[in-house]
Amino acid sequence: MPPVHTRALILHAFPYGETSKIVRLLTREHGSQSAIAKGAQRPKSPFGARLQVLSEGTAHVYIKPHRDLHTLADFDVTRQHEELTRDLRRFAAATALAELLIRLCPAEPHPEIYDLTVSSLAQLETVPGEALDLASLSVLWAAVEALGFAPQRDACARDGRALPAGATVFSVADGGFLCSRCARGTRSARLGADDRRVLERLIAGEVSDIALLDAKHAAAHRRLLVRFVERHLAEDRELKALAMWRELA
Amino acid sequence: MAAIEDLIGELSKLPGIGRKTATRLTYFLLKQPPEAGRRLARALDAVATRVGPCSVCGNLGETDPCVICEDTRRDRSTVCVVEEASDIGAIERTGEYRGVYHVLGGHLSPLDGIGPDDLRLDGLRARLSNGSSVREVIVATNPSMEGEVTATYVRGIVEAQSVRVTRIALGLPVGGDLEYADNVTIARALAARREME
Ligand SMILES: [Zn+2]
Ligand SMILES: [Zn+2]
Repeated sequence: MPPVHTRALILHAFPYGETSKIVRLLTREHGSQSAIAKGAQRPKSPFGARLQVLSEGTAHVYIKPHRDLHTLADFDVTRQHEELTRDLRRFAAATALAELLIRLCPAEPHPEIYDLTVSSLAQLETVPGEALDLASLSVLWAAVEALGFAPQRDACARDGRALPAGATVFSVADGGFLCSRCARGTRSARLGADDRRVLERLIAGEVSDIALLDAKHAAAHRRLLVRFVERHLAEDRELKALAMWRELA
Repeated sequence: MAAIEDLIGELSKLPGIGRKTATRLTYFLLKQPPEAGRRLARALDAVATRVGPCSVCGNLGETDPCVICEDTRRDRSTVCVVEEASDIGAIERTGEYRGVYHVLGGHLSPLDGIGPDDLRLDGLRARLSNGSSVREVIVATNPSMEGEVTATYVRGIVEAQSVRVTRIALGLPVGGDLEYADNVTIARALAARREME
């Protein structure tokens, strides 16, 4: 069977066995896939320097139906996103995004997730330093939303009651905002009207009209996102890149 | 049987060695005279008991400080930062470098949970701080995304101490053929072009 050619992003690449590498790919036409690049650890491998994390290009993959591990025949890099390495915070945000996709993106076609991810990486690469906090929060929330795990915020996450405007409570355990009755006695995060609006905009990926976050608010937003993701998307396990992104001021 | 299994188990923990290779190596050793196996055991015991990291630079050796840090003919004003102690050997074999080294012990890799606290960066800061004779730091981390982000991070530390920082040039392998180089490598080589002398 001939290889399929698909636009793809390398989410992670790591050594496998004595000479090969395994790459986790986000493909545009086949969703998230793992493939073995045979011989890629050899010094004179035709893969050369191409199998780098966050590289974007065309993957030539032999897809074996009903198998978890396919074979990468070749990878033509079109964009390496090298600017992400000029700042550890950018690199950590981008790899945290990759980590979410490795964990949660299914092996089914999701061109919209691919397109979103590619534009998110470009945004993380080019956004001015002072807006990086907002940009990284928004690309990560947008990925959570695109993967179908967004927090409940139209109605109370516990009993479905309508939520009044203004201040609210965000319950990580319940997976969203709570009405005042359900919020009674909980130790969940209280959000003022402004913080609520910022969070809603971050999840919707509409941050152009939001004022820059100060260090304290940015750190609180990072902690909230990581707790939500660990609770609902990772069975309470720590996600390494996401945890590092949370700690980098 | 237990002894054979033990050895296969230990060998297969080594990087790049699967169970199949570990089994092959074990049976190879069993065919040798017993003295060959004892020599290997003594060599392993010697590195385990005598070799350790240099408290100055992180190089591996039998003395602390290591032979490079102790060598008075080396230029202490230049420090070359590398990811692993094994990289020192590669640079030493060129015979071109007379400065000293600093081993980070890896590279930054968020996906693998390796952050700044996991590298020997405090030791680097200490070597560059007040009263230091270091005038230049050469960053020789690997030409990978992780190596580059590590280089960026090291640069921040070095510049904070007002010390000159340089990066080794990345590009085409000597003796290589332009036509067969991958486009990433060619792009790097173009970006790192220099005036012809
Ligand atoms: Zn309620
Ligand atoms: Zn030393």
